[in-house]
Amino acid sequence: MWRPCGISDMTYAQDMAIIRAKRHWIALIASLVLVYSLPFFDIYYFIGLINHLSIAIIVVLGLEIVSGYCGQISFGQAAFMAVGAYCSTIFTSKLGLPFLISLPLSGLAAGLFGLLGGAASLKIKGFYLAIATIAIHFLTMWLILNLKVTGGPRGLHALPPRIGNLTFDSDESMYFIIVSVMLLMAYIARNLVRSKIGRAFIAIRDNDLAAQVMGVEIYQYKLMAFFISCFYAGVAGCLWAHWLQVVHPEQFDIMHALWYVGMLIIGGMGSVPGAFFGVIFVRGLDELVLFSSPLIAEAFPWIGTQPAAALSLIAFGLVLMIFLLYEPRGVAHRWEILKASWRLYPFMY
Amino acid sequence: MTGILYSLIAAAIVLIYKATQVASLAHGQILAFGALFFWIFFVGMNLPVWMSLLITFAIAALIGLILERVAMRPLIGQPAFAAFLMTFAIYVVLDGVFQLVLEGGQVKAYSQFLPSAIFSFSDITIPLSSVISFSIAVLLFSLLAAFFRFTKIGLGMRATAEDHQLAQATGISVKRVFSLVWALSAIMCAIAGIAIANLTGIHYVLPSIGLKGLIVALFGGLDSLPGALLAGILLGILENLSAGYLDPLVGGGCKEVAAYAMVLFIFFVRPYGLFGQVRIERI
Repeated sequence: MWRPCGISDMTYAQDMAIIRAKRHWIALIASLVLVYSLPFFDIYYFIGLINHLSIAIIVVLGLEIVSGYCGQISFGQAAFMAVGAYCSTIFTSKLGLPFLISLPLSGLAAGLFGLLGGAASLKIKGFYLAIATIAIHFLTMWLILNLKVTGGPRGLHALPPRIGNLTFDSDESMYFIIVSVMLLMAYIARNLVRSKIGRAFIAIRDNDLAAQVMGVEIYQYKLMAFFISCFYAGVAGCLWAHWLQVVHPEQFDIMHALWYVGMLIIGGMGSVPGAFFGVIFVRGLDELVLFSSPLIAEAFPWIGTQPAAALSLIAFGLVLMIFLLYEPRGVAHRWEILKASWRLYPFMY
Repeated sequence: MTGILYSLIAAAIVLIYKATQVASLAHGQILAFGALFFWIFFVGMNLPVWMSLLITFAIAALIGLILERVAMRPLIGQPAFAAFLMTFAIYVVLDGVFQLVLEGGQVKAYSQFLPSAIFSFSDITIPLSSVISFSIAVLLFSLLAAFFRFTKIGLGMRATAEDHQLAQATGISVKRVFSLVWALSAIMCAIAGIAIANLTGIHYVLPSIGLKGLIVALFGGLDSLPGALLAGILLGILENLSAGYLDPLVGGGCKEVAAYAMVLFIFFVRPYGLFGQVRIERI
């Protein structure tokens, strides 16, 4: 455990603390002020982008908990996000619940639905579980397409959220809600993984037979992992529905689930900041391809007129392959190496 | 009859699993590419059938070899899950290339190259092309099963699947086995792709048929070729039955989800598949 010079830990609370030095507090408060003041600069495109990123970060945080810390690979996050989005839309439009209640309720609904995936994880492991979650995704989307209450293939129209007298119906106003929820979820995730539950998850990931022998009740913890990650996905879905004000089954395709798992791997599978790194890296790559695709289409005219979607897929797959070959622990691991070399400069180790 | 085509894809996946303990998501794309190349040679350049088939097989084998060399070989010592994620990355890349080539989902139809007579006895009409696909598939299956059982190379492949290091200790070149098996399975996927595109045309949903092939392989047992055959036929029957009987009840779309419901069912009941070997886990 590294500490700056002059700081030592006197209590267990100090040892386990996330923020250990005064400089960390200053950095935290400064960045919070920066984040909350961003909408007042005139950068509309980036506010929308940050909204999208924050929702993806919440989803990938859930995925970190179930796949990175607990080892149960789940390709079903897009489907659980869809469940959360549809539930929240139905709660606010048809049942008339206020937004602040429907947010945790849709998370709960998605979490309960995700217990199906949890039940699958009790029986099967690894790659079989991955295929089972893909199957759950397709079944969920079929269910959503065919139920009357979810509006079928036309989707539903969601209301913008109202808290008290304020209506949040623009990118900038939703920004505050979305970023606040994201920071709260990240805080919860960070605290979860340094608690007893987090240690149980890591034990299950490393060797679940050994964990069971040691006394960790793997059935309960696996179910809990799926519940928590689907809670995250449900909350993200609720925010998505109210941000875009329309939910449609095509927004929750299998390719989105694959993108989320790819973001998880690129970011780093076992760390909470890995979710942030992965989402920002992959989405940044996407934007790069989007900007450069007209140039590429000009340079290679046989590609066709709108290669952006296909090129972003190719870029994403290639980056994923490179990361799997050369840095399987993701960007978070590189970040740790960077921090360590910064600390140790000018020494090598 | 599409069940037997699922069995072909499943056989390719089982082949890879039998030799390398990696279940591959990428074969759906290889089958799409096989169909695409066959279209390029047969319709685009108007080459005769047998020549375009041969060239397509050669290109499919080349694709398999390149994929194996670039993507799978560096991951030989790593846990099998990393290799699975790598096949998932290959799936994404090939999906992108396929969409690029297809320019936004155009359907390119094939001209029929198989004779198109129709058998009909009592109520059932079966087109001749389906019968030909069926018999080719059965022939391929028996050839593959015989290959694994009776030849030395097949024995080497089974040994590699059990334990890479022990196989290397007995003198089997694991790298060569991997290359051979990827090339072979790519050829099988190309055959399946040509057969499927014969029925439906080249369409952007072709890779999802590959996913169903993986599901069929899982259902029958990932290391059993007769299981893949049986499971494919079962899935074909199940899809059509559910489309016929359940569609009016539920409102449509049962055909696609039948496969996924089936695989969830088999995961809860018998996780290793109908004929798969149960792996006993020790700490």
